[in-house]
Formats: sequence, structure tokens, C-alpha cells
Amino acid sequence: MSKRLTLLPGIALILILFLIPVGIVFQQGLFDPAFTIEHFTRFATRGAYMRIFWNTLQVSAVVALACLLIGYPIAYFIVRQPTARRPFLMFLVLVPMWMSILARTYAWMVVLGKEGIINQTLIALGIIDTPIQMLFTTGAVYVGMVQIMLPILIVTCFSSMTEIDQSLLRAARIMGASPRKAFREVFLPLSAEGAITGTLIVFILSMGFFIVPALIGGRKDTMMANVISGQVSQTNWGFAAALAIVLLAATLLILTLVRGASAKLVHHHEEAH
Amino acid sequence: MKLTKTLTAFTLGATMAASAAFAEGTLTYAGSGGGLAQVMKGVFDDPFTAETGIAVNALATSDRASALKAMQVAGKVTWDVTELNPIEYATASLSGWLAPLDWSVMDPNNALPDDAKLADAGIAATFSTVMAVRTDKLPEGKQMTSWADFWNVEGFPGGRALQNQPIDNLEFALIADGVAPADVYTVLATEEGQDRAFAKLDEIKPHIAVWWTAGAQPVQMLSDGEVAYTSAWNGRIAKLAAEGVPVTINWNGGGIKASYVAIVKGSENVEAGQKYISFMMTSPERAAQFASMVPYPGMVKGLYDHIPAEKGTMMPTHPNNVGDQFVTNALFWGKNLGPLKERWEDWILE
Amino acid sequence: MRDRNFLLPVFYLLVVLFLFFPILIVVPISFSNGRFLSFPPEEFGLRWYRAYFSDPVWMSATFRSLRVALGASILATFVGTLSVVGLGRRRTKTSGFLTAIFVAPAIVPNIIVALGVFIFAIRLGVSDNEFTLVCAHAAIGLPFVVLMVGSAYRQIDPTLERAARIMGAGPVRAFLTATLPPLTPAILSAGIFAFFVSFDELIISLFLMSSAETLPMRTWNDLRFEINPTIAAVSVFFVLVTTVAMSSTELLRRRAEKKNAA
Repeated sequence: MSKRLTLLPGIALILILFLIPVGIVFQQGLFDPAFTIEHFTRFATRGAYMRIFWNTLQVSAVVALACLLIGYPIAYFIVRQPTARRPFLMFLVLVPMWMSILARTYAWMVVLGKEGIINQTLIALGIIDTPIQMLFTTGAVYVGMVQIMLPILIVTCFSSMTEIDQSLLRAARIMGASPRKAFREVFLPLSAEGAITGTLIVFILSMGFFIVPALIGGRKDTMMANVISGQVSQTNWGFAAALAIVLLAATLLILTLVRGASAKLVHHHEEAH
Repeated sequence: MKLTKTLTAFTLGATMAASAAFAEGTLTYAGSGGGLAQVMKGVFDDPFTAETGIAVNALATSDRASALKAMQVAGKVTWDVTELNPIEYATASLSGWLAPLDWSVMDPNNALPDDAKLADAGIAATFSTVMAVRTDKLPEGKQMTSWADFWNVEGFPGGRALQNQPIDNLEFALIADGVAPADVYTVLATEEGQDRAFAKLDEIKPHIAVWWTAGAQPVQMLSDGEVAYTSAWNGRIAKLAAEGVPVTINWNGGGIKASYVAIVKGSENVEAGQKYISFMMTSPERAAQFASMVPYPGMVKGLYDHIPAEKGTMMPTHPNNVGDQFVTNALFWGKNLGPLKERWEDWILE
Repeated sequence: MRDRNFLLPVFYLLVVLFLFFPILIVVPISFSNGRFLSFPPEEFGLRWYRAYFSDPVWMSATFRSLRVALGASILATFVGTLSVVGLGRRRTKTSGFLTAIFVAPAIVPNIIVALGVFIFAIRLGVSDNEFTLVCAHAAIGLPFVVLMVGSAYRQIDPTLERAARIMGAGPVRAFLTATLPPLTPAILSAGIFAFFVSFDELIISLFLMSSAETLPMRTWNDLRFEINPTIAAVSVFFVLVTTVAMSSTELLRRRAEKKNAA
């Protein structure tokens, strides 16, 4: 009972600074004066917006998976270091966050451009003759977004891995499990919770993100958040609200499905032992 | 360095001015913040406070049309005077969120041309979306002088960029297609005219490397050599050229835009607001001082008498340049942006 | 296992290099005397550092941003950790629903949150107020805390806390002594992310704080027109200061380690 009470400050914060304010905007946008589904039908029937929606999903999924594949081994590496050395290795992962996302995105323009560092180096080395188009492509979006999101995944994986009792791994080894088997049977399942959470956080953040695609993506790399802020600039709150609701609903649905599936997986694994 | 020094001097002066002024009330001005606000503080705000005793509280704001709408919803106005871009002005004006201005009080000596004095706003500054050209990327002995040249990808090979929005581009396309700048909006008002503009844009679309979304992008791309020809806001191109990058502005077919100042309806400081707008707009000396620091000149008569010619000719409203351009029609776009933007979004994703 | 021991450090170095790449690019630009982000710069100097440190507007924006981010991050971690405890270990319909609500601020684009909080704050008479901004930033930092700390909380063995309770500790004491210590790394990480979410946030700040600029507010208008290398100088300054501090602690630690070993 008393534990439930600790939810109160969180609920109060989210109610006053998110639910009520966003509710006001949604209500202003969607009740005209009675509720209208006009904005939702506009979203569903215009090919352009559906395409932007799928693009947003796809970019977010690719970025989240790329972060998982790169970040998980990094977290694993850090957690296997002596405890005293870990903070420094973690620090190196986190320190680039001091640079604003906007400035980082412009820095990629200098790197990936036609006359940028990479093309110039490749030409100087004689590997290519004509510059490769890297800037303003979907690939550039992935590079830029992974650079921003990767620390989140590493940190989330890491903090769940530190909870894993190293003696379990040792025990598995003593019982004759090969290192690979010990990793697969003991470490991987125990670190899955953190890995899935990290991947989900990256996915969620990517769904609401737009600076990188807007600045270094191609003409088809538009994200939902980009359209939403454009609609707000035009004082078109109704359509902005409808798009935000679609984005929110889709993301939360995926979140619930993945968490449900992962809970079953983890639970299943626990029962098997 | 000079600008930095001047800015520091201004800021120091400002601190002193602020402590010296005893409040005759405070005027809240919704501007853009940043370096621009620092320049405005030195040229307009502090002298205004010294003269009238009214303190100016300069805000950094964005999405001003939506912010004004939010104040309507909240039922309380928190700004007195606001800066507005053309679309924001059109939205605010058509929605009736702006207070009427009494120009007989604000400009008794007719220092401003009638074009600058609207019923509910003044034109405080101007800029232009122009064609910027990297001269070292041009074919031997050729000059790019018109939007028709920009569309001529065989005669002028090289990377191109345009802004990712219908405003300006539909006008440029029609001008490239032979419409006189003066007739652009008559043509664009018809469905056939819009089809014609999009058809012309179809021709150039495969050759546009980048559809830019932020004003700093074309500047960076010209500087990096990522593109050779692009639409861009005039202000920074002049500075880029001064930095030694081989780049020129082609004024022919540029779209002049206004930055409006207006009093928010419901403000309790209408009188002080009118005084401030008048102070900002009607002195050619002050306007020249502002324009020499930020290349977005005002409309006051005699402005260019106070600006050296080599600087003045880089500005959109200079007599040499103004005739080649068209004036972006804020009210046309205020009314038509919705459907045209939707069509644009479909078109860009095709 | 042995070959992985060799590959992983190399992979780690490559990834750190990738994460540092934008900063490495910006370091020479920040030490240039030129105007635009041109690489490589033609003339070196401290022009942009001088511009940054000699300008009281930049300085006060920096301190304001640090203050707001610190406040928002502390508030978010405190409130968020309490919420995690309240949500409990078991996944129920209620906990799923509440988690969704706690996570939503990370999905809804900030511009919508900004508009809504702006309207609500005007009605309550608390617009243009630093404390309102701290609370709004705490709300958008909350998803990190609820997810990261929540994930760690579910992993911790509840028997320890139960044992403490059986031994007669009150619920607060049992939590503080048995559950909080293993949660600390997750709370710290979530706090760091909540800090940077606020430190880099622009749109909500523009609506709520317009008369006193934060660092992103000071830069955004300049960035609309040109890439001002002052921004590069600011980033490099913070990276340098924290890296020097962290590296010297690491060196001291290693020296102490050696001494102890010897």
C-alpha cells in the first residue's frame, strides 16, 4: 500500500507538466467545437503522410537495432574491466554529449560532404576518383542518429550488466560449460532486460526525433516530428495533434508488444532453470 | 573581431543604461534572441530607454503565430510588441490577433514610404531569397543571371539546392518559365498557374542535390563546395563573399520578404508599443547603423544615404537591386500555404 | 574467449573514436580565427574562446543552462525512482498503463509539450519562470529514469529487502540499505541523460523562458543564419574541462593502484 504512494510525485509531475498541457493542445486542435476525425482521415488518406509515418518507423527501428549491435559488446567489454577502471571507460562514451545535437549534425556536414574529409582522404589515397555522395542520404541519417543514441544503449546495458553476479558465470565455467556456452546460457539471458530496455529507449526517442534527418538526410528522409513542427508553425494544431496521437499510439503499441514478448521470454527462461 | 568588440561594448553600455533608467514601465518585445537581439539592444532598445524611460524586455521566441494563438487560448496576452515573418504576419493579421496602428502619431513627418505602413503592422526590416552562385564553378566565361539559367542544367552543370518549401520555389519556377516577376501572383492564383509551376519544378527536381531546411545550410554548402548554385537568404552570402569564398548574389528574380513588427491585440502597452515601433523605423541614421551590422535593411527614406555604396549594393532594397526582384506576397501565402504545402509534400516524396 | 579479449578493446576504441568524431572535427574549427565552419581552418587563434568568455550574455546563458539542467535532472531522478518503486516489480495492467504515461513525453514532439505548458503556465501566471522550465524539463527527462531505473529494479533480488524488513527495518530503511545501493549506477546514468536532455533542449525553453536565454536559445538564432564557431568553442571547452578532470582522477587512481601493488 505504502509503495503505491511513492507514485504520487511522478503522477503529479506528469499530470501538471505533460498530460494537462498536451491535453489542452489536443483539445484545441481536435474539437472544432465537436470532436472531428477530419485530421485523422487526412493522415490516413494522403499517401505522403503514410509514407512519412512508415519512414519514421523504419529509421527508428534501424537506428535502435544498430545501436544494440554496436552498444551491447561495448557494454560487455566495459563491465568485464576491473571495477575501478569502469567509470573512465564509461566517461569516454558519455562525454561527447556536451556538444549540442545541432552542432554535431553540422559537423557531420563537414565530414560527409562532397569535398568533405572522408571524400578528400579517399581521393588522396587513390581509392576513388570522383567523390561519393554521402551527405543528404539515408545512410548519413543513420550515422548521425546512431552517434547521438549509442551512449543511451551502452549505459542501459552496462547498468543492468553490473547487476549480474559474476560468480554465476564462474560457477558455469567450473561446471564445465565452455566460455561461449556460459555467456549464452547465463550472461545473455540475465543482461537481456537491460539490452531490450536500451533498444526501446533508442527506438522511442528516434520516433520523436527530426534534427538529423532534416539537416543531413535526403528529400525523402522526412520524419513525423518534422511534419508536426511544420504544422504547428502554420498554427494548424488540429493536424499536428492528430499526427502526434498517431505517433504516440504506434510507439506505445510497439513498446507494449516488445515488453510483453520480452517478459514472456525472460519468464520462460527462468522457469527452464 | 570588430563585431565582437562592438557587441561587448554594447552589452556593457546596456548594463549601465539599465541601471540608470528608472522604470516608466516595461515593454515586452518578442524577437528572435541571440546575436540579433544583442545588436538590437545597442541600436534600438537602450537608446529608446534612455530617451523615454521605458525599459524594453526583449524575448527570444519562435513559432510566434502559434504562440499568439496559445495566448488567445489562455485568455491572456503576455507580449506587447512582436516581430513576425511573412507567414506569421498573414496568419496573425487574418485571425485578428494584431492591434491597429496609428501612423499619424507614429510617423508624423512621413519618414516612411506608404508600403511600410500597414494597418496592423510596420515593415521593420527586409531580406531576400536570392540565387547564390559559386563563381569558380561556373563554365568558362559564362555568368548565371536568371532562374532560366538555373534551370538550364546542360549549359550550367554543377550541384544545385533549393529550399524544401513551396514559398519562393513556385515563384522561381514561373519566372524561369517566362512569367514576368510582376505577374507571378496573378498566375499562381489560378490552378493552371500552380500546375505550370509544379511542371516546371519537375524539370529541375532530378538535379537538386539538396532541399535545404535551415538558413545556415546553403551558406555551409556553398562554403564547402557541396553545391554550386542555390537559393539562399541574402544576408549571409555577402559575408561569405567578404570571407573570400568566390560567391556572388544574383538579384534577378529574388523574392523580397519583410520582417514585420506589430502590437499584439490585448496588450496594455499600446502607446509605448507605438513609440517603440516608431523609434525603430523612422530614423534613417539608426536604421543605417542597424543595417550595417545586420544586412536586413529597413524601409525608411534616405537610408542608403547613410550606408557606404559597397555595403548598400549588397542589400535587397538598394535602388540597384530592388527592380529585379519581386515582393513575396504574404497574404497570398497566408491564404494558400495549407493546400500548396500539402501538394509540395506529396511532390517532394514522389 | 581469448580472441574476444583482443577484439573487444579494438572495437571499443573504434566506437569511442566514432562518438568523438564530431568533436574532433570541431576542435580545430574552434581554434580558428575564420568566420565559418571551414575545415581545415586557415588561421589559428583564440578568437572564439575570447568571444565566449568576454560576453556576459554567453556566460549567463551557460550558467543558467547548467542550473536548469542540474535541477531538472535531480528532480527527474528523485521523482522517477520513487515512481519505479511504486510501479513494482511485477508487470500488471496498471503498471503497464502508468509506464506508458511516464514514457509518453519522450515520444510527443517537444513543440506540442511547449505549446501546452505555455498555455497552462500563462493561465497559472507562472510563464517566463525558471522553476517552470526546470519542472517541464524534469517531465521530459522522466522517461529515461522510469525505463532505466525500472529495468535495474526488476533485476535486483527482492529477498534482500524482504530480509531487511523481517529483521525489523522500516520500509524506508530497508529500501535505502538493501535496494538503493545496487540501483545507484542506473540512477546515476539516468540522471546524466536527464541532464543532457535539458542542457540541449531548445523549443520548450523558447516558450517558457524567453526573457532569460539558455545556451541553446543563445545559439539557435545564430545557427539559423550562419554556423557561428562560438558554439564549437563552447562544446570543446566543456569536453576539455571534463576530460582533463576525469583523466587526472584516472591517472591518480592508477598511480595509487601501482603503489598499493608495490
